[in-house]
Amino acid sequence: MAVFGLRVTVLIALLVCGTVPADDAMAPPSKLSALLGSQADPEFARALQPRKFSFPEDHGPHPEFRNEWWYVTGNLDDDDGRRFGFELTVFRFSLAPTAPDSESAWRSNQVYLAHLAVTDADGEDFYVAQRFSRGALGLAGADSSPFRVWIGDWEFSAQQGSDAWQLRADDSAVGIEFELAPLKQPVLNGIDGLSQKSAAPGNASYYYSITRLQTTGTLRIGEQTFEVSGLSWLDREWSTSALAADQVGWDWFALQLDDGSELMFYGLRSADGDRDANSAGTFTGPSGAATHLHAKDVEVDVLEHWESPAGGIYPAKWLLRVPSLELALTVVPVLNDQELFTTVRYWEGAVDVRGTRHQLPIRGRGYVELTGYARESAPGDSQ
Amino acid sequence: MLPATYRASLFYLLRHPWQLLLAILGISVGVAVIVAVDIANSSARKAFLLSMDTLTGQATHQVIGGPRGVSEDVYRQLRVDQGIEAVAPIVETTASIGEARFTVLGIDVFAERTFREFSTEARTADTEDKDPGALITRLLTTPGGVLLSQSTAEELGLAAGEYFDVIVDGQFHEAKLLATFGNDDGAGRLLLTDIATAQEWSGSYGVLTRIDVRISDDAGVTLADVEDALPAGTRLLSAAGRTRSTLEMSTAFMTNLAAMSLLALLVGLFLIFNSVNFSVLQRRNLIGVLRALGLTRRQLLLIILAEAGFLGLVAAALGVVLGLVLGEQLVGLVARTIDDLYFRLRVTSIDINTLTLLKGMLAGVGAAMIAAALPAWEATTYEPRLAMARSTLEHKANRMLPVLSFAGVGLMTGAVGLIACTNTSLVAGLVAVFLAILGFALCVPLFVRFAARIAAPAAAAAGGTTARMAIAGIASGLSRTGIAIVALTIAVSATIGVSIMVDSFRGSVSTWLQQSLQADIYVGTQKSVMAPELVSTISALDGVIDGSTRRLTSVESEDRRTQLRVFELPTASYAGFELLDNSPEQVWPAWEKTDAVLVTEPYAYRFDVRAGDRIPLPTDHGVQQFLVAATFQSYDVDADSVVMHRTTYLRHYDDDSIDGLGLYLADGVSADEVVAKIESLGANWPGLYAASNAQLRSESLQVFDRTFVITDILYWLTLGVAFIGILSAMLALQLERARESATLRALGMTPAQVGGVITVQTGAVGVLSGVAAVPLGIVMAWILIKVINRRAFGWQIDMSINPGILLTTVAFAVAAALLAGLYPAYRAGRVQPAVAMREE
Repeated sequence: MAVFGLRVTVLIALLVCGTVPADDAMAPPSKLSALLGSQADPEFARALQPRKFSFPEDHGPHPEFRNEWWYVTGNLDDDDGRRFGFELTVFRFSLAPTAPDSESAWRSNQVYLAHLAVTDADGEDFYVAQRFSRGALGLAGADSSPFRVWIGDWEFSAQQGSDAWQLRADDSAVGIEFELAPLKQPVLNGIDGLSQKSAAPGNASYYYSITRLQTTGTLRIGEQTFEVSGLSWLDREWSTSALAADQVGWDWFALQLDDGSELMFYGLRSADGDRDANSAGTFTGPSGAATHLHAKDVEVDVLEHWESPAGGIYPAKWLLRVPSLELALTVVPVLNDQELFTTVRYWEGAVDVRGTRHQLPIRGRGYVELTGYARESAPGDSQ
Repeated sequence: MLPATYRASLFYLLRHPWQLLLAILGISVGVAVIVAVDIANSSARKAFLLSMDTLTGQATHQVIGGPRGVSEDVYRQLRVDQGIEAVAPIVETTASIGEARFTVLGIDVFAERTFREFSTEARTADTEDKDPGALITRLLTTPGGVLLSQSTAEELGLAAGEYFDVIVDGQFHEAKLLATFGNDDGAGRLLLTDIATAQEWSGSYGVLTRIDVRISDDAGVTLADVEDALPAGTRLLSAAGRTRSTLEMSTAFMTNLAAMSLLALLVGLFLIFNSVNFSVLQRRNLIGVLRALGLTRRQLLLIILAEAGFLGLVAAALGVVLGLVLGEQLVGLVARTIDDLYFRLRVTSIDINTLTLLKGMLAGVGAAMIAAALPAWEATTYEPRLAMARSTLEHKANRMLPVLSFAGVGLMTGAVGLIACTNTSLVAGLVAVFLAILGFALCVPLFVRFAARIAAPAAAAAGGTTARMAIAGIASGLSRTGIAIVALTIAVSATIGVSIMVDSFRGSVSTWLQQSLQADIYVGTQKSVMAPELVSTISALDGVIDGSTRRLTSVESEDRRTQLRVFELPTASYAGFELLDNSPEQVWPAWEKTDAVLVTEPYAYRFDVRAGDRIPLPTDHGVQQFLVAATFQSYDVDADSVVMHRTTYLRHYDDDSIDGLGLYLADGVSADEVVAKIESLGANWPGLYAASNAQLRSESLQVFDRTFVITDILYWLTLGVAFIGILSAMLALQLERARESATLRALGMTPAQVGGVITVQTGAVGVLSGVAAVPLGIVMAWILIKVINRRAFGWQIDMSINPGILLTTVAFAVAAALLAGLYPAYRAGRVQPAVAMREE
């Protein structure tokens, strides 16, 4: 069957990116810019002004917006001190602003995509799995009450009336089953949850985080099962378009510090390599009080680089400084190779943090996401 | 530089271009027929396997349900509750675009990636606006959006972005071509679309045709995982097994075709033998001279064989090329029949495998060598001086006649023995056919000698010396005329045999249709089922006094697919079933009240069951045993069927749909008027059709006739081959007798008289062949009907011999022989006596 020139990834790339890698001439500047670009049907709702958030309702879906995601990352250890990182993300896409009218249960405008990644720091291994489905027939979907987001048998769910979330995802090589209990209230990023991504009105998302969730459960790698515990981070974002044409990607930091505070910062990068003025962040104090950070508040120096075997050079060590908070942090990946060869190739991995706050030593852990660095097509991406 | 002897051979051939041409033509046509039929068969088979491969993809197993399909909830359970990834939902239906029929494959792209790879290979360059980006989005969001193979789109004259009509279940739907993909071989008759579109077109909401399953080490799922998760009424079958049982539906047809090709092979072999034999016999004088000059027997034999081998090679190569061309024409016919009767098939590529070509080459070269070996060996056994004498050969031939005939009778006895000793082997049946033909062929020369001796005095009385000369000449030139007559006899008898078989078959089918079509009007719908309101509306029409209901479906188990015909009938129409092994008093009450079924004769034959046996059938409540109440006669296309009473069916299957009605009218009510009334309902019920008893019968016979178009073509080819055989025999005879003709001319005969001798002779050859062909043809028909058809299809056919068939075929044999004699007669008349007599 190889003669048919299988390009599975093409199919999926078609779906979410609207682009085709490999032999089709018009290679886009960045798959992400196409994914989150601004050419959306005007019928979709847009993030134009701050809104009132209410929980747990807003944990549920917002299908009037084109894209939405539930993003959980975390750093965990087992009883013997073995270190793990994980990412479980569900993306929702609306293919059209309104649901089509049909007697067929398969006719749907909703598509779901999920990524599971597990970092085994001691074993120096990185595992990735993904799922796709249309949001129809109960194959995949999102409900707010009781909260449930699922795709096949992977799911985020909560009991009615409970804050705690259950996460479950299983693939042939890895599997996770966790209970997440929030240690803080949701934090609204940007201006009251409106996160402007470029100057154009509506090029923004609604964005909130729960920056600290106590996490316990089991993690499976192959035949081995580990009882693990640690901290997780939830990012929730929905929008209709979020990147401008000249923005090629972003660097996102979600760092949990051992004094009970958290720092989130995303640096949007323009095609010319500069940091975009719409980059922003949020500092959450131990009490849960949030401080909005503008692009100019945060200095990021890249100290080291890592070249992906599949092409593209990623930053691999940073010095983050927030002078207004007297915060200076060195961020180092737990493993260099935490690159996901999924639909969109990106880097998302567990990191270690060391630095000072008010001149006192401080440590922490976190997750960093790097998009738009992948240059050539990945192995398996082409025919 | 060739040795002188080989050059002698070459120059001889070049000096007799006609001889050379005919020898080559004979071999070529024979090889061509063999190659063509082989190509047609294997192309059809390969196209089917490819399209199944395309449809099945990487699926190792398939979950199927009852007659209505599998509930889509089963799919959700597998994927969400059980977390099984390697499953894909399929909604399949049939659609027409203009005249062409397509399989609509409704898929879920998200589940597809590990199944059908071609479906992900849409040619981005051919999407609507050259932007491949939104293709999948469009597939999901455009109702009626489809993908076609590149060549199909071109054939239909469609470009990406264009709208066109498809007809599903008799209803028009608007489709839009979103893009094309490259897999033309397997997907030539495939409309790929989103599963939602497939459901909307077929109206099969909530139901899947099947769920594809991929069990493999890397899929992380075992057969048991899936089986455990399946509810009752669904079954997990192996994909390969399903492909096999689908292919088996057409196996009998293909086998029959292969038998035809073997027949063509046999006639071809005779022709090759004929051609080469003549070209050697022709040179008896040259051979005598060479022997006299001191050439050893071995050398001589080698020269002749080398020449035959070379001729065979050239001719076989030509034949193969001709066969390829012919094969392409035949493929269309074969594919059409299969498409009509069995499953969607379009042959996009001609399957030319080395084996086919090798078979053709071998038949050509081998037959040429064997044909040359016999006369060559014969020529070398004479003393050099004797070899020059033509009469020596005829003497020898005459002495051989009883031996040949004895061997012939032996072979025919063998054929009878083989039929008697085997019960079901189709191969044994085919071998018997060929033994009978071969045996009979060996007896033909003896018959010709006797016939000519008896006829010669009569001819003299009727037509004077010329006529006597012509007739006696057949017997005296038996070494040549004999083979020509044998070739023509076989061709004609094949025609007779096949014609009688088809005619008897048609007669039986016609009688059966008459008997089994009991209702006055038959109503059906192109939809899969009829709406209940429609059933009651039609049943309540004026003039309708009674009705029957029908549901056609099939159930599958691991090893077979059983066609299920479900009826509820007025007792009067029970007479429509010709019960073969039980009495009506025993059968009907059991059939109505208990788990008893009727089986068709082919079913009984194939699975070796009879009244009183029990057969297992998968039902919605698991596999159940059913009593076979009786076997009945049926020539239906779905040969292996089980007939069940509706009450029994409802007990075992969760499906109360009806897809056909039989209406019984009051006396004096015109069927045509009621048909018209029903057709007028068609405005509200698209796809509805009705046919009167007579209409249905004639339509059924039309389908029957179309099926046998291939048979027609094959026997025309066979006759063509025989025609060339006669032409070459007569030409050889005439060339050899140039001196004889010249002598006759010198004695005062006019060119017309000399030509007349030849014409009478060829006419007589035709008559003799025709007469000899009649008994052989009848024997062949008997074997085809009682042995081959029975063993291939399980049908019992009443043999009826239509004298018209015999007369026309014999007349054709005479006409063909006369036609073939025209040119030799013309040449014989033109001979310049002085030149011809001087030649030697």
